[in-house]
Order: sequence, then structure tokens, then C-alpha cells
Amino acid sequence: MHHMFVGFRYLVIALCLIGGLSCTQSSSSPQTNVLQLHLGGEPTMLNPILSTDSPSSSVEGLIFSGLFRINSDLELEPDLLDTYTTNDDGTVYTFRLKKDIKWHDGHPFTAHDVKFTFDTILDKRTNTVRRSNFVIDGTAIQFNVLDDHAIQARLPKPFAPFLNRMAMGILPKHLLQDADINKTPFNRSPIGTGPYKFRSWQAAQYVQLERYNDHHLGAPKIKSIIMKIIPDNNTALLAFEKGEVDESGIPAKDFQRYTTKSFLDIYRFYDLVYTYLGFNLKHPFFSDPNVRRAIAHAVDKSALVTGVLKGFGTKADIPSSPVLWSYPPNHQIPIFNYDPEKARQLLALSGFTMNPSTQVLEKNGTPFSFKIITNKGNKDREKVAQIIQRMLKDIGIEVSIQLLEWSSFIKIVNANESPKAYDAVILGWSLGLDPDGYSIWHSSQYPQGFNFIGYNNPTVDALLGDGRTTIDQSQRKKIYEQIYTTIANDVPYLFLYFPETLQGINKRVKGLSKAGPAGLMNPIESIYLVE
Amino acid sequence: MSPIIYRILTAIPLIFGVSFLSFLIMHIAPGDPTLMYMDPTVSQNDLEQVRKNLGLDQPLLIQYVLWLKQLLQGNLGYSYVTGKPVVQAILERLPATLLLSITSLIMILLITFPLGLLCGYKKDTWVDDSITIISFLGLSIPTFWLGLMFILFFSLQLDWFPTSGFLDPMLLDASWVQKALNILSHMMLPLLTIIIGGVAGLIRYNRFSMIKILAQDYIASARARGLTERRILFKHALKNALLPIITILGLDLPSLISGSFIIEYIFSWPGMGQLGVQAVFQRDYPILMATIFFSSILIILGNLLADVSYAYADPRISRPSNGDAS
Repeated sequence: MHHMFVGFRYLVIALCLIGGLSCTQSSSSPQTNVLQLHLGGEPTMLNPILSTDSPSSSVEGLIFSGLFRINSDLELEPDLLDTYTTNDDGTVYTFRLKKDIKWHDGHPFTAHDVKFTFDTILDKRTNTVRRSNFVIDGTAIQFNVLDDHAIQARLPKPFAPFLNRMAMGILPKHLLQDADINKTPFNRSPIGTGPYKFRSWQAAQYVQLERYNDHHLGAPKIKSIIMKIIPDNNTALLAFEKGEVDESGIPAKDFQRYTTKSFLDIYRFYDLVYTYLGFNLKHPFFSDPNVRRAIAHAVDKSALVTGVLKGFGTKADIPSSPVLWSYPPNHQIPIFNYDPEKARQLLALSGFTMNPSTQVLEKNGTPFSFKIITNKGNKDREKVAQIIQRMLKDIGIEVSIQLLEWSSFIKIVNANESPKAYDAVILGWSLGLDPDGYSIWHSSQYPQGFNFIGYNNPTVDALLGDGRTTIDQSQRKKIYEQIYTTIANDVPYLFLYFPETLQGINKRVKGLSKAGPAGLMNPIESIYLVE
Repeated sequence: MSPIIYRILTAIPLIFGVSFLSFLIMHIAPGDPTLMYMDPTVSQNDLEQVRKNLGLDQPLLIQYVLWLKQLLQGNLGYSYVTGKPVVQAILERLPATLLLSITSLIMILLITFPLGLLCGYKKDTWVDDSITIISFLGLSIPTFWLGLMFILFFSLQLDWFPTSGFLDPMLLDASWVQKALNILSHMMLPLLTIIIGGVAGLIRYNRFSMIKILAQDYIASARARGLTERRILFKHALKNALLPIITILGLDLPSLISGSFIIEYIFSWPGMGQLGVQAVFQRDYPILMATIFFSSILIILGNLLADVSYAYADPRISRPSNGDAS
């Protein structure tokens, strides 16, 4: 019988041998002046006008530059731009570009590249979802080259979010004018004007970048950047601990464990996102604002922050992020405190009575029960749904929960029909830097559009229009405060919370900026490593 | 006509039937590639335009005919999500998957064949029981947990292997020996995870086949003739126990290229599993159609190969082409 074990024994020996050989490989000498970043997924394509995923934009941000870039205070600062002027009504912008800027291939950068980029976005054959950003009331913004270093943009009417959109990465005309922009190999080996040059991209492994010494804002300190693609967050965390990557998100539940480790610093900041419970306003019960206010009183948001976010976040009352300039200071926004008794009173006023046998509220014989839908796979939203379910049960409302695969979820929510086939939804919005909330709150964005709850308030509609056409920031701030006040009082969404992002960075990385949604390594030129 | 050619010819309509059915099923599932853009900064007009550009507004049948026409010209199209030629997307993922799946298959066979036969031979003894229990333990541990534990132990604690990945980016210009060793060290943990999960089933299979053979009349007659146990086992039983393995190998052929999503996801292994599952979630139809197309070819090919090699290994199975009567 011993013969049968022979094969197995050799196998074990072979395994040990390979293991032994590999050991010497594993502890290779640490690379100096190489920053190792983490991407949570494979980038789709490295072309700023086409891609929408965050791995792609992380890479693009280092390779490409726009007229403006966003600093750590979330303000625009000139990048390719030298100066700009605008006429009195804010419909004509003249941008003067920096001179002597070269593409990574040595070709000079000119205003023609800028025009080419925006014209390509506006070209219907381009598979981009950015086109509408440059179309105002059905008319496209016109870009005219004045000379090699000056370009003019003509807007059909004043449009406040416009300047933010000029931070879009600029593409090289000389390489792309004859290419099919959707399929060109350029999208996998890009040439830009940014601080880092593209070196290689190994599918599902990493993207490698090299310092661009002729960068117009100064050469970066770090010679090379490797962005490792690690889809699993747990693996990324272990790779971070082993020193294979220099950054990783830290899950809230592991925060305490990592604060005691010496190799990292953890940074906490609010991102541009909020989570909400959206009511289908065509639902017979939810069309009554008092019912929505009652639910607002029945949900303890601080319990959600503690239970779901482990305390890393804050409760939300309006559709804006605390880090944005438009967030009203000490706001006079109507706030619905956790007060189940008040909730019961409001529901009684709306004609609901408790059925003593079922312990569920009823109106004209119909029990108050509804279904919350959310997307499968987002654990936080699942927990939020369960906690809300329990809280509403306390006041006599029966809630069921359905988790749906993303596409099925979108199919229901985005269906081009009214009324839509859902009661309430838990979702989060990620906001832009501009407070414009037209696509979410304007009545024209229903049933097709992101106002899928069917919110319709003429005051808000008018204010949203004003917010877009007013250029002066202090005036806009007042407009948005009014918008937020009205929306908060109407409770079309029950705003739940703003989560905090916990970012771990290896201590060897220095020169970090203020923590915030614009990134800790902003600008990348000032980052350096101590070995 | 040779039966092999006949079978290949009859497989062609089958492959197209499969492709048509999968095309239909794929499009019946809700959603399309543009649904990734659930973002308030994205307008419906833009989504409509992108759909139109990709031809997704066309009737289903026309979309299928267009895909087929392209295919017959030898063109698998471009990914909707990355704009990359589908062939390129698959070719850059295939080597990593093949390396891992072939190595693990060989390892699993080397482990399970002797162990399974041993179990069958020592049926219902402590040897059989303990091997069975250990292999079932391996089968019942969730792969993702086991993988993470391996990283934690072998990579973080012992520092034997890297946590994840395929090849150290710093070795891009290194010699091929260095690269090969580096890939090997990256492969150890995923390999170990696959092997532990994969041995249990095959051990059971081999055990059963051994038990069945040992109960055959010819074994009994060999024993009656007074042959030694060793001779009976190695001369008579072993060869016959090999037969079912051929079937399993044949049926396993498509899984060699499909890769394991969970393993690849945990260990950031750049293979076909990740590509396929991502394509499902992103509704990247061209990539999906290509992987289904290749898989169905391989399933048919695998079955064919199994049948042919079966016929050679077992003379009892008739080969009508040679006019053998049996």
C-alpha cells in the first residue's frame, strides 16, 4: 500500500520546495520613491470624457489636467488656465491658457485641444454621459478658438455650474482627431498634460505611472506611482498592513483595532454623499405631508448613526453635504426630532386609527403597511431598512423589506411610468461640487429622471431655475437655503445621515493635504515618501 | 463519414442554438450597460443617446443577427464598457486563469486519485473514515473565508507569500526566471485554497469507483486464482478505476477557462472569472456572448474528447467506424 502514498509525498515535497523558493521572493527589497495606491476595481477606460467609474477617474486625475482643478478646500484653482474673464450677464467666458505647456509626447498644448475636447463631448457619436453638462435648455455651449492660447465659451444663458464643468480633463487633438473615440487604443494608453505619465496597465493587476518632469505646475516629488487593483476590501486591508499598498479604507468596525497600530494614520472626513428614505409621493398614504412628517418623528436618526455607522457620521436634515459652501450655517431648517408621541398624534390627525387586534394603524379599513426596497449588497442600507422597520412598528406601521439586484432595482425606480411600482426606497446620492439639484428635485424630472419620487413644488421649481442662472455665490447661497428649507418642510425624502469616510495612510507618505472629498494627496506634486 | 467529424458537424447548430438562447435570456434580464450611470449629474437624454449608439434600441432579433454577422466575419466585437476588442479582453485574462486552473486540476488529481482508491480499498476502516472526514471539512469551509485566513496566516504572519496579485509591478523588466518565480509565489495561496475546496468531491468519486471494481467478478476470480493483493490492485483494479477520471476531465474542460470568481476576487488574480462576473453585472453583452460561445464549444469538445479517449482506454466500447462488432 505504501506505493499509493508516493505520489502524495512527492506532492508535499514539491509544495514545500516551491514555498521555500517563493519565500525569498516575497521579501523583495522595498522600492524607494514608489507610491503604491489602491484601486477598488479595474478602470473601464482612461479617458475623462467617457469613463464614469471611480477607479478610472483616480487614474485620470493624475494623467490629465483641465482648465481648473479642485483644491482641498473644494474650490476651483487654475490648472491649464492662466486667467479668465466674463461679460456682465455671465454668458461669454474668455479663457487664457498658460503658454509652453507640452503633452506627455512633447507636442505643444493649445486652445485647439480644449475646443476639440468639448466638441467631442457634444458630438452625438461619442458614448458619453457628460453631453448634457454642456447643453443649456437644449442649446449647446459654443467653443471658439481666439488664438493658440485663448478660447471663448458662449452660453445661451447664464449657467452657474458651468465653471465647475471646465475642470474636465483635456484630450490631445493631435492624437485623437482621426480616431473613433469610443474604441481607440488611446483609452488604454493615454497621453495627457498632468503630473504623471502613463507607463503601463496590466488588466486586473495594476496601472503604473511615471513622474512628468515638465509638468507646468512643477514636477512631482515621487518618481513613480503604482495603482494596484484589489477588488476585495478585506484583501486590500491586509495588503495595506503588509505594506504592499500605502492606503486603504478602514471599515468603521475595525477603527479601534487600527488606531493602535503604528504604521498608519487614519483620516476622517465627510464625503459628498447622504443616505435617505425616499417616499413614492403618488402612494395614497405618502401623498399626505403630515404622514411623512409623522414618519420623520418616528425615526431616531442618531440610532442609525450609532447602529449602522458605529458613530462615524452625522444625521442629515437637508439634501446637501456639510462640506459644501452651500450648506447653510446654523440653519433655520425645520427639524423633525425623534418624538414617537408626536408621530402618533400626526397620524391620528390624518385619520389613522389603531386596530387593537393587529396593533397596526388603519385608515378607512386599509392597514398602514408598506414596502421599502433597496439594492442588494449594500449592507448599510440593509441595516437602515431593518432599524426603520423596527422603529415604525412601535407606532403601528408595518414595514416589509425587499432587496433587489441593482438592475432590477433601477428598472422599478426608473420606469418611465406614473405611478411607479414601489412604496419607499432607501438610497444614497453622491453630489457634485455645485449645489444645483435640478435633476433630483425639479418636477420636469418625473417620471423619467432622478426625481423618481414625483416631487412637485412650484416654489422649488422656480428657485432651482434661479439657482442655476444666478452667478453671485452669496446670492446663490440664499437661494439654496430657501430650497433646503422648503424641501425639509415637505419631507419628500426622510434625510437620514452623512457617513464619514475613514482613510488609512501609511506613515511613510508625507505632504498630505487637508482631509476631504478632494483627496488627501491633493495636489499630488507635494506628496513625498520617507523611507 | 468519420463519427468524429459527424459529431463536430452536428455540434455546430447546437452551438448557435445555445448562443441564441443565451442572447435572449441575457436581454430578458432587466437592465442594460447604461444602468451603471445612476448619478444625478447624468441626464436621461445622454443615456438614450448612448443606448442608441450601442444599438440597444434595435429589436432583439436584429441585435442578434448583427452579432452573428460580426461573428461569422471573425469579429467578436467591442466591450460596451471598456471599448476594448473582446478578443483582447479575453486573451489578456486567459493565461492567468489557465495557469491556475490547470495546475490546480493536476494537483487535485494527484492527491485525490491515490487517496480515493485507498479509501475504496480500505472501505469502512479508520483510514477511509478519517480521509473522508478531512476532505469533507475542506469542502465545507467557505472559500472566501479560507482564502482570507490563508492571507492572514501565510502572508501577514509568516511573510511567506504576497497577499494578492499576479506579478510584482517592479519586475516588469526582470528576467523570465525571476518573473516565473514571482508569479509562482503569488499563485501559492489561491492554489492551496482551490485544492482544499476541490479534493473532497473527487475523492468520493474515486472511492466509489474502486469499491465498484473490487466487487466485480474478475477481481473475485483473480483472487480465486491466488494472485497477490498487490498484483490484483495494480494490474487489474487500477487501470479500470482510471476510466471515470477521463469523463470528469472531459466535463471539466470548460471550467478550465471560466476561472473561479471568488478565488480571483479575493486574491486579485487577473483571470476570466472576474471578467465574466463583472460583465454580468455591467450587462456587457459582447463579453458575455463571447465567453458563453467559447464555453459551449469547450463543453462539446470536452464531451467529444472524453468519448474518444474512453473508447481507446476501454476496448469494450465500440468504435463503429472500424466496423468492430461487440
